[in-house]
Amino acid sequence: MFKFLPYVFKGLWRHGMRTFLTAGGAAVALFVFCFVASVQEGLNRLTDGGDADRTLIVFQENRFCPTSSRLPEDYARTIREVPGVRDVMPVQVWTNNCRASLDIVVFNGADPQQLRENRGLTLTSGDWSAFENRRDAAVVGASLARRRGLSAGDTFSIGDLSVQVAGVFTSPVAAEENVAFTSLEFLQYTRGLDSAGLVTMHEAYLTPEADPDTVARGIDDALRAGPVATTTRRKGAFQASTLSDLVDLIGFAHWLGFACVGLVLALVATTTVMAVQDRVKEHAVLQTLGVRPGRVFGLVVCESLLICLIGGVIGTAAATAVLAFGGLAVGAEGVTIAFRPSLSLAATAAGVSAGVGLFAGVIPAWHAARTNIVAALNAA
Amino acid sequence: MALVEVRGLKKAFKKGGETVTPLDGVDLDIYEGDSVSMMGPSGTGKSTLLNAVAGIDPPDAGTITVAGTEITSMSRTKLADWRAEHLGYIFQTHNLVPVLTAYENVELPTLLASLSRSERRERVELALEAVGLTDRADHLPRQMSGGQEQRVGIARAIVMNPTLVVADEPTGSLDAATSAQIQDLLVRLNEELGMTLLMVTHDSEVAQLAGRRLQLDGGQLIELNEPHAAMPSPTSGVLAA
Ligand SMILES: Nc1ncnc2c1ncn2[C@@H]1O[C@H](COP(=O)(O)OP(=O)(O)O)[C@@H](O)[C@H]1O
Ligand SMILES: [Mg+2]
Repeated sequence: MFKFLPYVFKGLWRHGMRTFLTAGGAAVALFVFCFVASVQEGLNRLTDGGDADRTLIVFQENRFCPTSSRLPEDYARTIREVPGVRDVMPVQVWTNNCRASLDIVVFNGADPQQLRENRGLTLTSGDWSAFENRRDAAVVGASLARRRGLSAGDTFSIGDLSVQVAGVFTSPVAAEENVAFTSLEFLQYTRGLDSAGLVTMHEAYLTPEADPDTVARGIDDALRAGPVATTTRRKGAFQASTLSDLVDLIGFAHWLGFACVGLVLALVATTTVMAVQDRVKEHAVLQTLGVRPGRVFGLVVCESLLICLIGGVIGTAAATAVLAFGGLAVGAEGVTIAFRPSLSLAATAAGVSAGVGLFAGVIPAWHAARTNIVAALNAA
Repeated sequence: MALVEVRGLKKAFKKGGETVTPLDGVDLDIYEGDSVSMMGPSGTGKSTLLNAVAGIDPPDAGTITVAGTEITSMSRTKLADWRAEHLGYIFQTHNLVPVLTAYENVELPTLLASLSRSERRERVELALEAVGLTDRADHLPRQMSGGQEQRVGIARAIVMNPTLVVADEPTGSLDAATSAQIQDLLVRLNEELGMTLLMVTHDSEVAQLAGRRLQLDGGQLIELNEPHAAMPSPTSGVLAA
């Protein structure tokens, strides 16, 4: 079969523009496919991660936007008493945009010491002492830093907030890299929030053997007597419900991904059909020379596969690059979904391209192989 | 025994309400080293007979045996293998692959056999030399004249040293001078390389080149000369019932 590869390549080359456009179309479609799939993966990570199940979020009852949830900071003491709770971190959330946005900037204010203990952050530049010693210091997630061009030592101003970047961090939780952390007091005293003694939410960390749902119920029960009622959920469930509008949208976008695959199929099949129609006579000549029908089939499928795979790999590579270096995130109400490239995503996309290429070639190839040789030779 | 034995070959086509029967029980023997030409008015079924012998157009009835192998009952894939090994087909128009050079076109049939790269090169170079186109090996078909293209087509037909070479009006689309070159080449293939040749032509001059001349008429073959008449074989020549 490999002996015929030069023939296949020259066949693709003979209609260079057509091949180029078809591969280009496949590239664009696979680019979109990867993007959509990466959003889906990001969402799955939010709701499936270990962090999602072993952390509870205590929020004001019936409130969703971080600006409207206000809980007494000293609820932390009550929560800590609930059996199964290992630690409680009061968090003040500030976001530039409570609605769904592609350029969401989220600040979380929390105690620096607790932050380091509970979040597993790794500084890639800057240092912790600068963060701990300066009131308006912030550590910035790598994705946010990339998107906004921030590095240690910069001043980052957005809305009424202005912070000094003390460092840039990476996190085992991809979505976390879209967040900037400041000290709790700094955010509490920010103009517009004015929430001295109040926080947006409490993050409760569980002991290894605790059952998250039992503990959540315990927390809500314990706080029922307080001035503000609470709803406590696993972090994953909390994020999924906060993003529920987006989740619907993402579910819909998933269909767009499938539509892209259908598009590539139609595109590559059309090109292959045209290539076969152009060469009805040539395939008959090859068969007259002694090329088996099965091999003619293989040659056509190989052509279709190559076009689709070349386009698909280019599109996947482009999407991977953009996802890796773009620091893109979509978010709403202080929760973000990180767009990340992944090996499994790239492998899936390559597999999809190959599958579509094979499938698109089957029917034209079958026609080329089964065509009546004499009739095809007599064709103009 | 004859190299090619055709017995009771029938082929009919339905055209509108009518049935055309270009081959109505054709018998034919071709011996090794023969050069056979087939003449007749257009539409009498010459190509149909040639294509049946070439194994690309299965007949409705009758048998064709080539070098002891009956090809009429073979599957399409088996027939392809058989053609790769035993048949050289020269087309009226060269039918070269336009994106391949002369060398690559001639190389195509050799790719189907289990030959090493150097064996392939040797054969291709020999075939190109036989048609006098060694210096055009790297040219694409569109960079060559009609006569040169046809010679490449002939080189492609003979490169695997086939048992039988068939040619359907090989000079049909060439001018007189070029046609003469191709005629010379065909004579040499038969006389010098000893290839068995069956060709269809409507040009009596071309037909004269062949040692044996046939005419297809009314679905039957008529022998115009009897080169094997001396042989005491009952199946030689025409057995038109
Ligand atoms: N596929 C076909 N369908 C219908 N009729 C055909 C077909 N092929 C050949 N014929 C008819 O069979 C007859 C013989 O054709 P052909 O062998 O090409 O003639 P020749 O080569 O002698 O000019 C013609 O009448 C032609 O119209
Ligand atoms: Mg004809």
